[in-house]
Amino acid sequence: MDATQLFSNGRRGRTALVAAGLAASLALVTACSSGSDEAAAGDDAPAGGTTTVDFWGWVPGLEELVAQYNEANPDVEVTFHRMTGDDGQKVEAAVDAGAGPDLVQLSSHDLPDYVIQGRVQPITEFVADDEANYTEASWTSVTFDGEVYGVPQGIGPSGMMYRTDLLEQHGIAVPTTWDEYLEAARALHAADPELYIANLSPGEIGQWVQEVQQAEGSWFGIEGDSWTVGINDEASLRVAERWQTLLDEGLVTTELMWTPEYWSRVNAGDIATISYAAWFPVALMENAADTSGLWRVAPLPTEPGSTNQGDSGGAAVVVLKGADDPGAAAEFASWLNGSDETQDALITEGGLFPSTLNGLASPALLEEQEFFGGQVINEVFIESAENTPATWSEGPNWGTAQTAVLDEFAKVVAGQQTFAQALDNAHDATVADLESRGLSVAE
Amino acid sequence: MVALAPAVVPRRRRALGGGRLAPYLFVAPFVVVFLLFMVAPIVIAVSNAMYSSRSSGLGFGGAETVFVGLQNYATALRDGDFLFGFARVALYGLVQVPVMMLIAAGLALLFDSALVRARRFFQFAVFLPYAVPGVIAALLWGFFYQPSVSPLVQALQGLGVDADLLAPGTVLWSVANVSVWSNAGINMIILFSALQSLPRDTFEAARLDGAGELRMALSLKLPMIAPAVLLTTLSTVIGTLQLFNEPQVLQSITPHIASDWTPNMAIYAVSTLGGDTRLGSAMAVLLGLVTLVVSLVLVRVTNSSSREGL
Repeated sequence: MDATQLFSNGRRGRTALVAAGLAASLALVTACSSGSDEAAAGDDAPAGGTTTVDFWGWVPGLEELVAQYNEANPDVEVTFHRMTGDDGQKVEAAVDAGAGPDLVQLSSHDLPDYVIQGRVQPITEFVADDEANYTEASWTSVTFDGEVYGVPQGIGPSGMMYRTDLLEQHGIAVPTTWDEYLEAARALHAADPELYIANLSPGEIGQWVQEVQQAEGSWFGIEGDSWTVGINDEASLRVAERWQTLLDEGLVTTELMWTPEYWSRVNAGDIATISYAAWFPVALMENAADTSGLWRVAPLPTEPGSTNQGDSGGAAVVVLKGADDPGAAAEFASWLNGSDETQDALITEGGLFPSTLNGLASPALLEEQEFFGGQVINEVFIESAENTPATWSEGPNWGTAQTAVLDEFAKVVAGQQTFAQALDNAHDATVADLESRGLSVAE
Repeated sequence: MVALAPAVVPRRRRALGGGRLAPYLFVAPFVVVFLLFMVAPIVIAVSNAMYSSRSSGLGFGGAETVFVGLQNYATALRDGDFLFGFARVALYGLVQVPVMMLIAAGLALLFDSALVRARRFFQFAVFLPYAVPGVIAALLWGFFYQPSVSPLVQALQGLGVDADLLAPGTVLWSVANVSVWSNAGINMIILFSALQSLPRDTFEAARLDGAGELRMALSLKLPMIAPAVLLTTLSTVIGTLQLFNEPQVLQSITPHIASDWTPNMAIYAVSTLGGDTRLGSAMAVLLGLVTLVVSLVLVRVTNSSSREGL
């Protein structure tokens, strides 16, 4: 009897799930169709009509900002869809099918591919005046061939979050260079075999990219009319050697980041440092609330004779190909990312590190963080952003390159190959993919 | 077998619309859906696979679609990891299919015999996992596989067994376990209903001749439900070749499932993560062909062996 009850509960649960999914997709369909309908009506009656802008994004708190904009601009109706799961991948298919949103938030790593595939529109004429309010690096990241393809929305300067209690307990100074980092790793693990300096996640590309950037490497580059690929460049090999040593000596754990297993080790105090971007502290506070007060942030350890820091990548809001009214969409994107009204909310609610000058000047950025023992952690990230070399450039097949690198890294942590071999393999796969698309690659 | 069909009392035919049109009207919904969701996608995939998107130089001049014939197939067949995915699911199937069928057939025979008490309860218990969507099942088991949150691994460690269920060597069987857990129930139900429709007088005769439950199960019942066994085996084999949900979900908790771990995952990686839907189409056509060939061989082999048996 119990089993029958359970059984029907299970069935009902499943139906509810299906129903919810169906409702969500129906909502999406109606949202899309109503969008184009209203825009079409707007074309017929330009005076007094409402323009609709469909916007997909993932930054926390965007709902409130969209509502604020709609209230202030009665002639424009922005509808917002929060991106979750693999919505990022859905965008491409939706755009190609002519059913995409008008405006979408995109990782700056993915933007060149969108430009090459013609999935985004140039918006230079609408946002040219905004350039003065953005950091040079972020504006460069949305400019291709002299055309602007998006409005930058945050960057990811790196820092090293560390457990001050664990380091103090074993009398270890906060490492400032990668050599000191290795020494600290050895000392920690020798003092307590359960203690590791870091977790080397074979699935987290941002942590790799930030150190490659710090070492002044770049996965991609342009040489005349050809792409260059540098996945196994000299800088990357230096980073590879560093982590190979830490891995070989058993000084790091190799859990996938974001898994229950990972957070359980973070909460248990097995991991002494986490090097990641300025948006990571929000995630740390949420998933390791019990460790509040034990963490501090320091700059990434550096290479000898260098003050370089790294960046794991930023984002931009871009106007997609099928957008009915690119002007209205670009105008909203410009307001959302650059206006004085939105900076505080993007920083405190959204956890963004601004790529705008007015955002960098915002007092919200310099709030003390209780979780980090009252430290003003963004002071570290601001300095990091200033010390990030402008050597990294984006390339045309980020998705393929990222998948190739991560698949190869998995074999490294399984002990089947070295980081250097992994980088060679991923490099070859990425070059082969570019050539199969007819793109020119310079060796 | 024909005699088993329940007697149907023919009803008087009612005139419906235009007499001759009626049969077409009845099959129309099926034909339309079949054409729209089966035939059309296959035709589109096959034709898509013959084209490729080409840019030149840096690519900012835009891309054009060019006819490349069978080149995408050649690319797919040169991809060692894609081909290795087939070997991986073959190994997986060699173990998982027999295990699944043994469990399903064993349980079905047990429930059909007079040996089990509280039959309905246990049947529901076995069938229950099938009501859990595949992705949810993989998520649930994912928690059982992660040492720090898994009572299972912790219990094993308590017994002195250092179990890592997500290691490169074990993860294939952890995936197989999820799939057996999810699908043994439905296969059991199919086999059980086939058993229930068998004529009881044959068994009475066998019992009078002194056959025990085991002898009846192996010599009478199993041969008599051979078509149902073939059906469930076939669907299990096809499910194996199309393995996707479970490893795709478990990929988020272990690095030892690569993006091209199974053929279906490789197709997803190429088309969705890599953005090359045309190469993905060629790979999908190849997977479809392999599935077709394997199914035909399986049917042929079973048919000829059952004919020999008779």
